[in-house]
Amino acid sequence: MPQLTQQFSQTSLAGSPAGAGSYYGSQGSLAAPQSLHQHVNLLSGPQTIDFEASTSVIEKTLPSSRSASQSPTSNCAPVWKRSTINSVPTTQQVLNKSRIPFGLLVKPYRQLLPGEEEVPVINAPQVVRCRRCRTYINPWVTFIEQGHRWKCNLCFLTNDVPSFFDWNPDTRQNVDRMQRPELTHAVVEFVAPQEYMVRPPQPVVMLFLIDVSFNAIQSGMVAAASKAILSSLQSIPNTEDRTKIAIITFDSNLQFYNLSSVLNEPQMLVMSDHADPFLPQPYDLLVSLTESMSQVQSLLGKLPEMFKHNTDPGHCLGTGLTAARKLISPIGGKIIVLSNSLPNTGEGSLKMREDVSLLGTNKETTLLHPQTAFYKNLAVTCSPSQVSVDMFLFSNDYADIATLNGCAKFTAGATYYYKAFNAKRPEDSVKFTTELSHFLGRALGLEAVLRIRASRGVKMTAFHGNFFLRSTDLLSLPNVSTDNAYAVECQLTETIVSPLVCFQTAVLHTSSNGERRIRVLTLALNVTTSIADVFTSADQVAIASLLAKKGVDRTLTSKIEDARDAIQHKLIDILGAYKQSMTSSGQAGQLLTPANLRLLPLLCLGLLKMNAFRDTATIPSDLRSYWMALLYVFPADMIAMAIHPQFYALHTVLDADAQPPMAKDALGRLPMPKQLNLSSERLDRQGVFLLDNGVELFLWVGSAVPPATVHALFDRPSVDQVQVGKASLSPTSAQTPPLGRVVRDLIAQIRADRMRQMTLWPHLYIVREDGDPSLKTWFLSHLVEDRYEKMPSYPQFLNQIREGLAKYSSG
Amino acid sequence: MNGEGLLFLFGVVASAVLLFAMVFFIIMFSDLECDYINPIDLCNKLNQFVFPEMAGHAFLTLLLLLNGSWWAFLLNAPLLAYHIQKVAKQRHMYDATEIFRTAPENKRECFMKLAFYLLSFFYYLYRMIVALLADD
Repeated sequence: MPQLTQQFSQTSLAGSPAGAGSYYGSQGSLAAPQSLHQHVNLLSGPQTIDFEASTSVIEKTLPSSRSASQSPTSNCAPVWKRSTINSVPTTQQVLNKSRIPFGLLVKPYRQLLPGEEEVPVINAPQVVRCRRCRTYINPWVTFIEQGHRWKCNLCFLTNDVPSFFDWNPDTRQNVDRMQRPELTHAVVEFVAPQEYMVRPPQPVVMLFLIDVSFNAIQSGMVAAASKAILSSLQSIPNTEDRTKIAIITFDSNLQFYNLSSVLNEPQMLVMSDHADPFLPQPYDLLVSLTESMSQVQSLLGKLPEMFKHNTDPGHCLGTGLTAARKLISPIGGKIIVLSNSLPNTGEGSLKMREDVSLLGTNKETTLLHPQTAFYKNLAVTCSPSQVSVDMFLFSNDYADIATLNGCAKFTAGATYYYKAFNAKRPEDSVKFTTELSHFLGRALGLEAVLRIRASRGVKMTAFHGNFFLRSTDLLSLPNVSTDNAYAVECQLTETIVSPLVCFQTAVLHTSSNGERRIRVLTLALNVTTSIADVFTSADQVAIASLLAKKGVDRTLTSKIEDARDAIQHKLIDILGAYKQSMTSSGQAGQLLTPANLRLLPLLCLGLLKMNAFRDTATIPSDLRSYWMALLYVFPADMIAMAIHPQFYALHTVLDADAQPPMAKDALGRLPMPKQLNLSSERLDRQGVFLLDNGVELFLWVGSAVPPATVHALFDRPSVDQVQVGKASLSPTSAQTPPLGRVVRDLIAQIRADRMRQMTLWPHLYIVREDGDPSLKTWFLSHLVEDRYEKMPSYPQFLNQIREGLAKYSSG
Repeated sequence: MNGEGLLFLFGVVASAVLLFAMVFFIIMFSDLECDYINPIDLCNKLNQFVFPEMAGHAFLTLLLLLNGSWWAFLLNAPLLAYHIQKVAKQRHMYDATEIFRTAPENKRECFMKLAFYLLSFFYYLYRMIVALLADD
């Protein structure tokens, strides 16, 4: 403790901007990880970049041994569901006093990473639920009356335990109920019986709406897309041959294709009525994938050739979507839009409204709002018929993501953006084909609804993510994507009297194999009366993620300036509240946070500096809208990466003293190198660095990198010959030196992981220290701790915060 | 019965109709909160009454102006301006994707309009009686 006070007394000096130089210099090595219940003075130097430490807080505040089965998997892992605070105060007053936003981030349906345990599937005679609040039985219920009844952990009603919990009628033997997966696992999937269906489970339906206008042909998109779809036809989920497929192409007219299995060749039917789009024939446009496989293959094979000389610049996306919806709305399913330019014919035409003179001004927000309600209204009509829209947008100049994303946003889809796509460039076509193939092949949930139930006294006030809100707490998801995450804001409406607060998320969906299933995730949180526990159990990544999503929402309903202000104010509020209730007046000159929130200011600064929110005139509105769309669906770990990119030194990964040593583990995975602080002071002229912002990868090459390293990585004799910009490293060969091999493996591993997390294949950009200045500036914009354009450096930002805290007095 | 009497008789009837429309809106919003109706149906239903309500009110205000009933006109002018402002900003229609966020606000607005129409109902009734008495 004496050391600690000494540290505090030193640090009030380091506050001035002039001291910024010594900020990194004096504290060369990163500070040791801090334990809980200890203040951290942020002005004392850079903090260790270690987000994972905070996720173990939940186990500390609420050991799984407190659950009914005491199983270690009783509580939800943060990848599934995480709360901004892991100890919930008993009253809203305490919550208000802490100023920490209370919310959850949920990703109920995701692709598992290598080594992860499968979600247990329960096929019981009966789905056991509370009679009153309809909560599913979970590890956090309590058994009473000698185990004959169970008490619901959400509404506290007692229910009967069904007999099959203790007795297996097939084997006529007693069974241990504490072995049942619904009592040992926080994430389970029930096979739903008949009463959970309003109609027989729908098959997988995919409708491709492909732009074949002049631009799309020129960029090579049509050829690349046809090839990718053709090669993924076999991997589209197709249990029992139920999957149906349709293809519609459009320029200034719509072209339907009769894919009937009795025809030798698919027939084209042209429809040019934009006022009242109709289907040219009622059957054979949507066909069984298995039966019409050869017709579909033949059509996709010929498509690029058929439109090769198409010079029609028309683009009737609105009409196309209306017709596509008509075609599949009796069943529901997915509309996959591949579009290369701005719609200009028929309903839903969009104006080219990008105006660089508006960027960075207070009029900028108008470019981030949709220019027409057409696409949103269309989405609203799609939602009840279980139709989801996914947008693949390619564009040379303006794609108007702000408007078109409305389609995906309210139908639980996603928007994929390929700026300046050119199929001739191998990187572009690899990215697109990899993503599209993965997209088509991944598991999906259909006709789903998501509901979150919470313990008595907790109320859900707002939801964020891609869905349509069908009632106060019911999210309608025509398709459940494995990528999308949802955020919920909560409030306490009455005093919590129970020792636990539980949240249960249930997703009722039809899996791609045609089974009706309910995925249930239960998160239990500790309840506390002390504000100190609220602070020390807070999850900085979850808070930053929630702030990011609220920021996007604020931008779309109000203005981007308001969103920025709200983020900064919230940060000052939280730290001010901490100062008021947890510190003494002797510490007034310092900037104190609990150890678990020490990276929150850095995350907030990253958020303010990232493409979605940065106050600058250099970010095109499409890019902003794209990033906002991403932030709105990203899970917490991806948001952390987007606002605080991961930064590694690659030239030292093979050094003898490197931590961790680069050796593959049992699953064949490499450990990630140690993360560096995002500051240009970490850059080294002789080094090679990798920066990963979740969506792009940057390889920074110093001007004095030894030739051996250059050879290992780029197969070139010297740095000057390294190609800059979007690039790929040559494939590993027998001659590749070990460093080159490790780096290639690392990049491949990051990409493979990213595909599982988000269906995103990051481009690799090579940035040379003495290369293209605009590329360098772009790279430097990710170094959050540095000054960039109008935005302050991290030490300057901390000073602003400290000044902002002057109005809060210590307790 | 003189012109003024007839005008206020119309005013009484019109404000009663508008009053009922507001009651209907409020009931619908309460239904939404209780999950008796889904937001798409709600918006489709309410949106068809938005323009008739505004038009009815605007027509009544215009008649009051033409008749030179300044006090009654001034009473109605702020609401008319509010309606015009809403249409100009394209915010007059209910949006199914935003409805849960805006429902409390919409409901409050409906309550205030309800109170206003109730007040005008009695005011017009009073003016009608005054006009009829003056006629005698």
